[in-house]
Amino acid sequence: MGKLRQIAFYGKGGIGKSTTSQNTISALAEMGKKIMIVGCDPKADSTRLILHSKAQATIMELAAEKGSVEDLELDEVLKEGFLGVKCVESGGPEPGVGCAGRGVITAINFLEEEGAYEDELDFVSYDVLGDVVCGGFAMPIREGKAQEIYIVASGEMMAMYAANNISKGILKYANSGGVRLAGLICNERKTDREDELISELARRINTQRIHFVPRDNVVQHAELRRMTVIEYDSKCKQADEYRALANKINDNKMFNIPTPLTMDELEGLLMEFGIIQEDDAEVGKAKNA
Amino acid sequence: MSTIDKKQAEEFIESVITQYEEKTYKDRKTHIEVVEPGQEKCAVKSNRKSRPGVITMRGCAYAGAKGVVWGPIKDIINVSHGPVGCGQYSWSSRRNYYNGTTGVDSFGTMQFTSDFQEKDIVFGGDAMLRELLREANQLFPLNRGLSVLSECPIGLIGDDIEAVSREISKEIGKPVIPCRCEGFRGVSQSLGHHIANDTIRDWIYEKDLEGQKFEKGPYDVALIGDYNIGGDIWSSRKILEDMGLNLVAQSTGDSTFSELANVAQAKVVLIHCYRSMNYISRYIEEKYNVPWLEFNFFGPTQIIKSMRKIAEMFDDKIKEKTEKVIAEKYQPYFDKIVSKFKPRLEGKKAMLFVGGLRPRHTMPAFHDLGVEIMLTGYEFAHGDDYQRTLEYVNETTIIVDDMSEFEMDNFLEKYKPDLFGSGIKEKYQTQKSGIPFRQMHSWDYSGPYHGVEGFAVFARDMDMAINGSVWKNIKAPWKA
Amino acid sequence: MSKDIKIKDHITLFNDERFSEMFDRKRELYENAATKEEVAKTLEWTLGEEYKDLNFKREHLVINPLKSCQPLGALYAAIGIDDTMPYVHGSQGCAAYFRSHFCRHFKEPFPAVSDSMTEDAAVFGGHNNMYVGLDNVYKLYKPGMVAICTSCMSEVIGDDLNNFVKNAKEQGKIPADFPTAYAHTPSFVGSHINGYDNMMLSLVSQIGEKTGEVKDRINVILGFDTYIGNFREIKRILGLFGVDYILISDPSYNLDSPTDGHYKMFNGGTKLEDLKDAPNSKATLLLQKYSTAKTREYMEKEWGHPVKVVNPFGIKGSDDLMMAIAELTGKEIPTEIENERGRFIDAIGDSYFWVHGKSFSLNADPDYAIGLTRFVMELGGDIKHVLLTNGSKDWEAEIKGILAEYPQGKDAEVYANKDMWHFRSLLATDPSDFIIGNTFAKYLMRDTGIPLIRIGFPLFDRQFLHRYPTIGYMGGLNLLNWIVNTILDETDRKTMYTTSYDVIR
Repeated sequence: MGKLRQIAFYGKGGIGKSTTSQNTISALAEMGKKIMIVGCDPKADSTRLILHSKAQATIMELAAEKGSVEDLELDEVLKEGFLGVKCVESGGPEPGVGCAGRGVITAINFLEEEGAYEDELDFVSYDVLGDVVCGGFAMPIREGKAQEIYIVASGEMMAMYAANNISKGILKYANSGGVRLAGLICNERKTDREDELISELARRINTQRIHFVPRDNVVQHAELRRMTVIEYDSKCKQADEYRALANKINDNKMFNIPTPLTMDELEGLLMEFGIIQEDDAEVGKAKNA
Repeated sequence: MSTIDKKQAEEFIESVITQYEEKTYKDRKTHIEVVEPGQEKCAVKSNRKSRPGVITMRGCAYAGAKGVVWGPIKDIINVSHGPVGCGQYSWSSRRNYYNGTTGVDSFGTMQFTSDFQEKDIVFGGDAMLRELLREANQLFPLNRGLSVLSECPIGLIGDDIEAVSREISKEIGKPVIPCRCEGFRGVSQSLGHHIANDTIRDWIYEKDLEGQKFEKGPYDVALIGDYNIGGDIWSSRKILEDMGLNLVAQSTGDSTFSELANVAQAKVVLIHCYRSMNYISRYIEEKYNVPWLEFNFFGPTQIIKSMRKIAEMFDDKIKEKTEKVIAEKYQPYFDKIVSKFKPRLEGKKAMLFVGGLRPRHTMPAFHDLGVEIMLTGYEFAHGDDYQRTLEYVNETTIIVDDMSEFEMDNFLEKYKPDLFGSGIKEKYQTQKSGIPFRQMHSWDYSGPYHGVEGFAVFARDMDMAINGSVWKNIKAPWKA
Repeated sequence: MSKDIKIKDHITLFNDERFSEMFDRKRELYENAATKEEVAKTLEWTLGEEYKDLNFKREHLVINPLKSCQPLGALYAAIGIDDTMPYVHGSQGCAAYFRSHFCRHFKEPFPAVSDSMTEDAAVFGGHNNMYVGLDNVYKLYKPGMVAICTSCMSEVIGDDLNNFVKNAKEQGKIPADFPTAYAHTPSFVGSHINGYDNMMLSLVSQIGEKTGEVKDRINVILGFDTYIGNFREIKRILGLFGVDYILISDPSYNLDSPTDGHYKMFNGGTKLEDLKDAPNSKATLLLQKYSTAKTREYMEKEWGHPVKVVNPFGIKGSDDLMMAIAELTGKEIPTEIENERGRFIDAIGDSYFWVHGKSFSLNADPDYAIGLTRFVMELGGDIKHVLLTNGSKDWEAEIKGILAEYPQGKDAEVYANKDMWHFRSLLATDPSDFIIGNTFAKYLMRDTGIPLIRIGFPLFDRQFLHRYPTIGYMGGLNLLNWIVNTILDETDRKTMYTTSYDVIR
């Protein structure tokens, strides 16, 4: 067994992060890798395609039920799914109450104390909600945790803002620990010059566009059955896309300290690609005005 | 003659504070001033953030709201909402005396906590709080209300304790008062006092809650801002009764919900600790047109002065009675105490560093005993408190706001006062330096210090500290 | 000569009739108080069976608990290291509370610094506070090390100490080689004993340097033990054995420093070089189990040397302690220790008949609870209730096992996670003859009339008790003294006006 690699997927909410990560991990599992997924999103949807379940019993939910985290056993929350991928979800509160970030910290502490990382694993993959909004969501990139961060992005403006923000979060920790930006995954949204734009953004923040995942309806068909494409239709073209991404991740050696852009620089980039207009006169002007 | 030479003291202060990191140095410079008697303005900056990494004596907003304002109200269940520690460390430590049966109709020396766990942080504590308040009301049916005093995490995770309080209050038919006094808010206990005063305003007066009905008379007064440390409010109450006044409400020492609600029913509101309760007295004046008056019941000079000032608010009957009791009872008693202790204390030099009021309130009492103050200051006073401190400055005095342990250590070593009056955290350090010490928050397990009897205890204790034999034995005889 | 004035303070002053009349008037006219009958009836109800059931049904409200929060324990571990500044990353009120709490117990100064996080830090993170904080600490107090723990505020917002400390070094706030230990100690997890464990783990794992060389020396860790006398006692015992040792965290210097006219912030403790070298000892002896669980696990795994835990109270506990030292060091148990054992047994022989058959209820931290329970049974005392707020399932199983070994333990009831208001119900409905507990148990004494033997933490209302040892045979003698002589005081009080008021007992 090689050295355990800890990776994390970040990206703007709704970008297809969980889908991309689960499909990629299935492909890695196909290659014979031993993997554990740690879902770090209170929605707890980071493992459902692997487990074919609606929602997994989460660490925080069970801990709350039992009284405290100390009363919890690892096997109550760690489930095996497709191709033996181990799945665990941190879980967390309903929107608008409590502190989801703390849930991530609690869950990861629990896994470490219970020895979840000591198994013969090749990869641990964290799937983290939206953005690094508070200290809790930075837990997966603290020292001794994920060293490689993959940001799922698309050509949409907000997705790129988020990617840039996430790289700011990584930078904060990169100097004191080993965390590095490992690449942008472009999940196609069919915006103008999408691949080119993401590749350029990647270059400017000192990373690579590691793979372009085209849009394909088969992903949705698989999801309706709570499956990854790899499992649902292993022969389809899209499955090969994820396999390609998995291979690239497996062989990846490009781990860099990101150089996030300033707001002006980012807007400059978007202007170059014609996503936003250079003319200030357009700002705040409705279409029919 | 003054012990402190202004110029030398300023040089010394400079030599101490230059040791801070740069920003801290700049900040601390504005918090220390050497003042002269008769000086009109005090330039000391106050009510600012303490600097990180400097041992401050200050506490937090929770300490101000729970420990000072809400905690002493005896028939209310004060729930420390959050992790176990805050309630635990403030449990029974302030000596707010009360009469009552603890656990039955009074709850002052009990520690009620929601003992927040990790799951409560993650999922929020509102549902648990709802159940908790029901449990409290069921187990202690004679309670007259509950308060929810929030600790740091509550504010961070965004629990809605107001909604829960409103709901449970309606359900149990008793006041439930949410008080957002998270410790990270503000710069000291002071904001906690203010927040607690605001909750009294919003959740009692703005809701027109009422206390026990009583027959009103022309001499009705309320006493606020006395927390009954070692019985302070009781010896104060005695004076007011001796003057012919009728004390219809006191807060918050040995107080009840009823009295808290009835403060506005008095003809005059008398306030002792201005710093912690001036907010509510201003509000009551505005809303109910009841005037308030600050007074000071430490030491003969201020007691007699305050009695006359209070009597001025009433008719001749009260004034006559006041003069009579002073002449026949109090003055002769004070004379006896002073003649016993002043010869033992005359010319001694003290330093005083306490909360937000007591230095300026106790300085005249020290002066009555012949003790001079060479350095003083406050943990959490505001500009007006410093301004008013100048009235009592008799000689060159160092004024320090939010004095750090580092500064304190330097001042003690340099000036070797005969007495230092401050808090528990400062006590043992001072005594290691061979300097007599009295806790001026808790009265060092003694008291009362307010009122006539209180002055006798105060004089006895200061003599006991300053002239304690142990301080003569600090150095081993074989050491030069 | 005129008669001296008699000055009355709060202890007697308010018993005067002029005050009691005033109190009655206030109660009747203004307090909206319950009637005397109502109060009497309610009081009786709170002491009954019905109330007990209701009280034990409570799930959320905690009343008069027997635990504090993690950072308190973390600071205690830190204060035992020489030249070390305990540092709280969080709001300043916490540090003020920890310091007061310890000052009240030890009657000693307790230096600890905080970085005064306020609302802006809650939103933006506490890193800037830590940079300035470390800068000031280093400049002002010139410590040899800083030991950092967190408050619940910095834990909720998810501050990362590792990251902050590294950045502080990078920015030159403290030198790159300046020793810093840091432990995450959320107040909403476990209790002060876990905080002690977390800081201890950080001290040994972050400062300790394993070289591969094994030295003929053992490490000893006492755990969250607030009896300063115990640190001196274990050193004395190890001295009698002639053993080389490192006591990891020894607060007996900082928390029992001399008064000589000059205050010193740092007075001694475990030397930094010893802390560094600790992994290279040949074994580690732990005198508490539940306050050192994570530390033990780490040492066993990373240091790979024998780690032994004993509970060093009473006869069996002290025997275990001596045999453990002998086993780990290969030394004989010295004659002097054998004689001490003999004296201890002698003293028990002289006095146990005052204890035998009396019943006891206890509250304490987990390790003390086990030691005291067994010792009381060794004296022939019956155990009625053992109640903790910070007990675990493992603890519950262990103490039940020990109770089962003695006939005196057969009727005992064990509660691992209850509070002193539960205890009040238990003692009111099923009383024991004596309570063993900390200062707060005096409220139980008041409410139930059962006399209290003060052992534990905190002890705010008595002087010096913490200066005595409680471990080993000589420590056992102190425990015996407190137990037996409280029983005798009580016997005198009960018999004062009878013929049984004996001079010889």
